Amino acid sequence: MKKTVFIIAALAAVLVSCEKNDKADTPIQPKQGEYVGVVTVTYQGANYDNNDINVDFAPNEKGDSASVTIHQIRFVPQMPVTIDITIPGIALNSTDDKIALKCDSVIPQAMGGEVPRYKVTGLKGEIVDDELWFSLNFGSFPTSFRGARLKK
Amino acid sequence: MLLLRTFASAMTPMVLISIFMAVWPLEDTLALQLPSVTISALKERVPADKVASSMSAISFQSIERSSTYRPNALSSVVPGLHIPDYGASLTSTIYLRGLGSRMENPVMGLYLDGIPVIDKNAYDFDWEGINRAVMLRGPQGTLYGRNAMGGVLSLSTFSPCDDYRPTVRIEYGTANTVRAGLSFTAGKNALSATFRHTDGYFKNAFKDEPCDPYDGLALRWKRVDCSRERLSVTNILSVNVSQEGGFAYGLWQDGTQYPVSYNDESGYKRLSVIEGYKLHHCADAIKTYATVSLQFLADDMMMDQDYTEQSIFTLEQKQLSGTGTIELTVCRADEDALWQPQTGVFSFLRRNRLTAPVTFKRDGIEKLILANANGHIPGDIGRLAISDNEIPVNSDFMIDTWNIALFHESVLNLDWWVLTAGIRVDYEVGAMDYDCMARLHYRFEPVMNRDKELTVPYEGVIRHNHMEVLPKISALFKASKAVSLYSTVSKGYRAGGFNTQIFSDILQNQTMNATMADLGVYLDKPFVSVTARNTEYDPETAWNMELGMRLSHGSFSAGISAYRMDVRNQQLTVFPPGMSTGRMMTNAGHSRSMGVETEFDWISDRLRSHLSWSWCDARFVSFNDGNNDYSGNRLPYVPEHTLYLNIGYSFRLGNNTLDTDASLRGEGPFCWNESGTQREPFRLKANARVALVLKDWELFVRADNLTDKTGRSFYFKSVGNEFFASVKPRIIMTGITIKL
Repeated sequence: MKKTVFIIAALAAVLVSCEKNDKADTPIQPKQGEYVGVVTVTYQGANYDNNDINVDFAPNEKGDSASVTIHQIRFVPQMPVTIDITIPGIALNSTDDKIALKCDSVIPQAMGGEVPRYKVTGLKGEIVDDELWFSLNFGSFPTSFRGARLKK
Repeated sequence: MLLLRTFASAMTPMVLISIFMAVWPLEDTLALQLPSVTISALKERVPADKVASSMSAISFQSIERSSTYRPNALSSVVPGLHIPDYGASLTSTIYLRGLGSRMENPVMGLYLDGIPVIDKNAYDFDWEGINRAVMLRGPQGTLYGRNAMGGVLSLSTFSPCDDYRPTVRIEYGTANTVRAGLSFTAGKNALSATFRHTDGYFKNAFKDEPCDPYDGLALRWKRVDCSRERLSVTNILSVNVSQEGGFAYGLWQDGTQYPVSYNDESGYKRLSVIEGYKLHHCADAIKTYATVSLQFLADDMMMDQDYTEQSIFTLEQKQLSGTGTIELTVCRADEDALWQPQTGVFSFLRRNRLTAPVTFKRDGIEKLILANANGHIPGDIGRLAISDNEIPVNSDFMIDTWNIALFHESVLNLDWWVLTAGIRVDYEVGAMDYDCMARLHYRFEPVMNRDKELTVPYEGVIRHNHMEVLPKISALFKASKAVSLYSTVSKGYRAGGFNTQIFSDILQNQTMNATMADLGVYLDKPFVSVTARNTEYDPETAWNMELGMRLSHGSFSAGISAYRMDVRNQQLTVFPPGMSTGRMMTNAGHSRSMGVETEFDWISDRLRSHLSWSWCDARFVSFNDGNNDYSGNRLPYVPEHTLYLNIGYSFRLGNNTLDTDASLRGEGPFCWNESGTQREPFRLKANARVALVLKDWELFVRADNLTDKTGRSFYFKSVGNEFFASVKPRIIMTGITIKL
């Protein structure tokens, strides 16, 4: 009887051990989500914060690429409008604890078409747990975002 | 104090006449009968001379002599009544005692042979065979309910029971105007028909053609069956069909009045049918009156709504409405009893399908939409372009209205006093189902390289309900057979409703915001307008306090009254600021009006004279539209004075007669807007008529606006521009009336 209990306990320990190992080896599957946070635009050496900005993160089916849409961003305080701007073709690299975002150069979309004047360069960022951050240059505007996933 | 001074001034001649009559031998006074005492009002269960209310009665003869064949001809004839003659038949704008507005519900109830005309678009029709017009002035809410807050006009056509000779009339005159009429009785039936054509009195300079031609036909049939001892049944059928141009509005800019000149099609077509039954049953103890009617109206208005030579925007408004009304009243059969109570119930249900598509044309797209939108968008971001030559904004409405009322009025008929007290509880439910949509093709340059279609729907339902309690108390003192004094305190109300004409503005702004949202561009100052919820407006209520006096002596009769009205939720047509395309009814806080109204008649064998005069001081007590405070200012469109003076004399030419009549009609001064910056002085127009009257026929010539006086009859704003309608020029008509 003692032998049987020992074998079951040992098997259970092995199974638990295997489960842990399996999880550690699986990269995070990117999920579509909405994040709310602060967009900071650097203009003439000063930082300008856009608070409570919604950002849509939309990965493709394979999970290796995504687009990010920043809603109602204002690049400079004196800009009389806010715009939605979408950055397509961001490469994703998922690991077991984060998703890395990277895009060297892409023309974003806004106002119904491509906007070369806000060309995106040097985009890099991460999704860790429920937090998203990224930084990039919108044309000549260094911009960053940090926000949390909106829980519905 | 002003009211008291004016009332005292107007009363002085009345008091002198009263004193004169007091010393006149009583026998003579008793022998004289005021013509009006034989005239009964509509729902009052006592003779008209015991009604404690201001009343004007216009006889068949006066109607014929003054060629009163449309309601607006009663302007100034009824003191204080102002119905400007402009626009088209649907613009039955009525002002009375400082009350009134240019759109939506009227301040005057209209009854045709006892049938209430519910739809204001059917108010303006050609009269023929009208035997009598009686106007009760002041709130008549207790017996007549909604919209009778300024008064009630009751038109009675000839009855088959009347001693009436069949009559044919035809007249012709200025602007190829032809008016022909026929009325006769046959057995239990009375029939009348009238046709009117005119080429129009105003020219559209852009099209080089008259802009206000008119063709209209009106038919009326009345059947009275009194064959049963206790029951009489009256059937009334009224059919009016017309097609006309209209909207003779000229631009007013930098102090210059420009001629009427617009490029898009404008006109109005209407078919109106009213079918009603009246039953009167007399039992031993009680009398029962029942009135049932079905009313149908189909009309189609097309309007160049910018009224300019530019292609800015047009409106086509089609209405298809059906209404059913029912009223049941019971009262005491013994008319000589001391106490005369009556109790009744009234209800109507109206369904109105209204389609009002607005089309923005190329100039309007550039000026109203693109200029507005691109004015908000920084140039370095881009600019909006719309490729459409026309943007249709479809607006469909289904408006249902249901009203039910219970009322009671008791009259205590004492020797010297007639005391009246009444109350009405009026409950009304309204619902507007709106279904609007705009569609356009836009491009945001230089980002977009091709057009994108955008559809903007806007739909929903708004409901409201209101209950009004309308009390009345009055006392009439019969100082003698010839002199009576009365005092009345009463409340009336004008129904609330929904603004449909502002939806073009709402859709225009909704479309711009939707376009921006579709682009992902958000303006710091978005296009703002009212929402559908704001298109609802409340009932307007008025308390009226009135003192009056009536007297008669032989061929002389007179009436004078002084009133003060306190108006809450004053309904006022306003034009939203800026380049707005719509107009809307709003409740403008609190206003009051006070005034004096007088009428004098002296009719002898050959000489007849009539004088009507009114003074009205109507002002906002408190009205702030969010931009300006208009408190203390005069209410727009309300004439401070109305005046009508008619003198006629009949010369005997053997067995024949030469009738001559001359009249002066005046109204004003007016303020055209709330701020009082646009004003119109008091103006008088002269009219004249000469008729050779033989036994069976009559030849006549008449002239309206004999001196061809110019003036302005109406004012409004559209797309930031100001417009005036001019008074009609001199019109001379000649014709013949044959009595068969």
